[in-house]
Amino acid sequence: MIRKPSRPARILQYVILILMSILALYPIYFAILASGRPGQSLYTINIAGMFAPIQWTWENYRTMLLQSDFLIWVKNSLIVAAATTALSMVVVTSAAFAFSRFKFRFREFGLILMLGLQAYPGLLSLSAITLILTAFGLYGKHLGLILAYTTGTLVFSTLNLKGYFDTIPIDLEEAAMIDGCGPVQSFLLIALPLARPALAITALLGFLGGWSDYVLASALVPAPSNMKLAVPALYGLTTSLSTPWGQFAAGFVIVVIPTIILFLYLQRYLEAGLTLGGVKG
Amino acid sequence: MVGWSGRRKTLLILLFTGPTLLGLLVFNVYPNILNTYTSFTNSNKFHPYPDCTLTLNSIMVPNCWPVFKNQPIGLGQPFKITEPLFQNYITVLGKVFTVPGLLSILTIALCLVPLMGVYWIDRRLDKGLERSAPSWVLWLVGILVSLLLLVFLGVTAWNNLISSGDFMAVVARTVLFVILRVPISFAVGLILALIVTSPGLPGKALWRVILFIPWAASSVAILTSLVWQFFFREQGTVNQLLNLAFGLKGPIWLNDPIYAFAIIILVDVWYSYPFFMVTILGALASISDDVYEAAELDGATYMQQLTSITLPLIRVAILPAIVLTSITAFQMFGTVWAITQGGPTAGAGVPGGTEFVMVYAYKQIFQVQNYNTATAFATIIFIFLFSATMYSLRFSQITKGATA
Repeated sequence: MIRKPSRPARILQYVILILMSILALYPIYFAILASGRPGQSLYTINIAGMFAPIQWTWENYRTMLLQSDFLIWVKNSLIVAAATTALSMVVVTSAAFAFSRFKFRFREFGLILMLGLQAYPGLLSLSAITLILTAFGLYGKHLGLILAYTTGTLVFSTLNLKGYFDTIPIDLEEAAMIDGCGPVQSFLLIALPLARPALAITALLGFLGGWSDYVLASALVPAPSNMKLAVPALYGLTTSLSTPWGQFAAGFVIVVIPTIILFLYLQRYLEAGLTLGGVKG
Repeated sequence: MVGWSGRRKTLLILLFTGPTLLGLLVFNVYPNILNTYTSFTNSNKFHPYPDCTLTLNSIMVPNCWPVFKNQPIGLGQPFKITEPLFQNYITVLGKVFTVPGLLSILTIALCLVPLMGVYWIDRRLDKGLERSAPSWVLWLVGILVSLLLLVFLGVTAWNNLISSGDFMAVVARTVLFVILRVPISFAVGLILALIVTSPGLPGKALWRVILFIPWAASSVAILTSLVWQFFFREQGTVNQLLNLAFGLKGPIWLNDPIYAFAIIILVDVWYSYPFFMVTILGALASISDDVYEAAELDGATYMQQLTSITLPLIRVAILPAIVLTSITAFQMFGTVWAITQGGPTAGAGVPGGTEFVMVYAYKQIFQVQNYNTATAFATIIFIFLFSATMYSLRFSQITKGATA
């Protein structure tokens, strides 16, 4: 808006902003506090301990990093997430390009079918996916997870990326074609570099598909400990009777804060890619 | 696009879309078909393995395929197709289609009639040159009448509905959750987007980053929600603050169904308002300043600018976002699972106070192992979600091509 707000309005704006910022930051800050608290309880009887680091110890971090499988979980998660990212990038970009650029008989039907399929409550196909992966001998293996995650991100990423390709003028590729460029070349050399914001989203979604999932990983790779992924393993820590909350918080900080930083780093892509591609239409 | 044609084009398209189709076939299409098939059998923990002598079983269920033939068979009876065919669906829907069930749905719908009336009158008035009553007065009256009706008629109808079987209890609660959660996130996102774009505000970029954090945290909702859950424990932050500020001894929040419900809404709003904020920011950026300058010259107040310029102009971009988040909110799982696991319980075998659709289905499959009714439930939910998704296509250009 053009006019600057009046003084009381500005004060109200600040009050709302500051309150919401505190609310946005406090859970994360609280986890950091809890990760440095001696003992295994999340709370202190002294309320100051809820808001300030009155005691600080690195003990929880030391236990998690040196005396548990935590690093192996993180490594597993990184491998699965990276493989999912790579695989979904290849699969999604080519399919999205085809749906955006080629005219073929079942194109519209294919897109509607994908949307419809997505409507089936995914969590419930879990038992069927387990059966299939067992048939292929992939149950309890990371490869099975990678395949399941990649198909999990397929529909949304393909549609989003296809929407973004649609906004790129086709003239460029046509000009390249006149200069003797085939469809594959025009895909690799022209469309892909132009679609960078949406590609960043596709990569982020692929990575998060592997990195942050709980349901599939806990069902498909339930054991042994050295095969588990970080998120389900951390969640698993809290289901025992005497939960080591301090260690959970330390693991939480190590897993969640890099995720948040990654998101913030990709924020401008997320804003450009999502609003242009999928949602706005 | 110009390019190859004939066989080479077909091959190229297959090459580009083949992996996607294969993946969807194996991990989406087949599981859904198998689930739908299971919903017509009596498979549960007493009938855990298929009767492979039945033709359909031997085609559909992997345990009957040659690769699995030698699998050890556990205790229990083999499962087969139910008699009558729709037995599971009848069990799931229970008393919904009886007179009291339909009557309570009708009563609740009746309570919302004033709102629809207001919408209709508002549209009518908009078409005329002079408005005899401002929009907000109409809506205020409509909402008040609706609320009164809800208090006097709705509450008993709601309780009847909740007690008429699992299906209605779970679906009604989930719908209520979506109806409350989506507008609240939208309102929070809108207010924050308007503040962040307000002229002369210092540190805009910083506010945007900070307010964006919950979205980032929502990707690992299952872990972040555990931290949230802690705030509402008996000795959690909220109760300690209450004690410090007012000397009150707070309740055990998560043991009360209404508080637990509110907490789930609060946490899920926390996760989802940044999405609306970002979408609205994108839409706001596309509105030209000239419009506001013109409005300013004509002496329009801030509220007038908001209701007659900003909101109508961002509507096109916001509607699909609202439909999409409604569908995802309906399927929300991680937040509830980490905070209440569907509880607090209302007794054995009855869904708990926050047991929404996904949590209920998950529990039915993985804890109770009622595969037959759980898959029937899932199929009904699928029909519902499928219709909602198809409806959402109205707002989207997604199925059109670039060249269209």
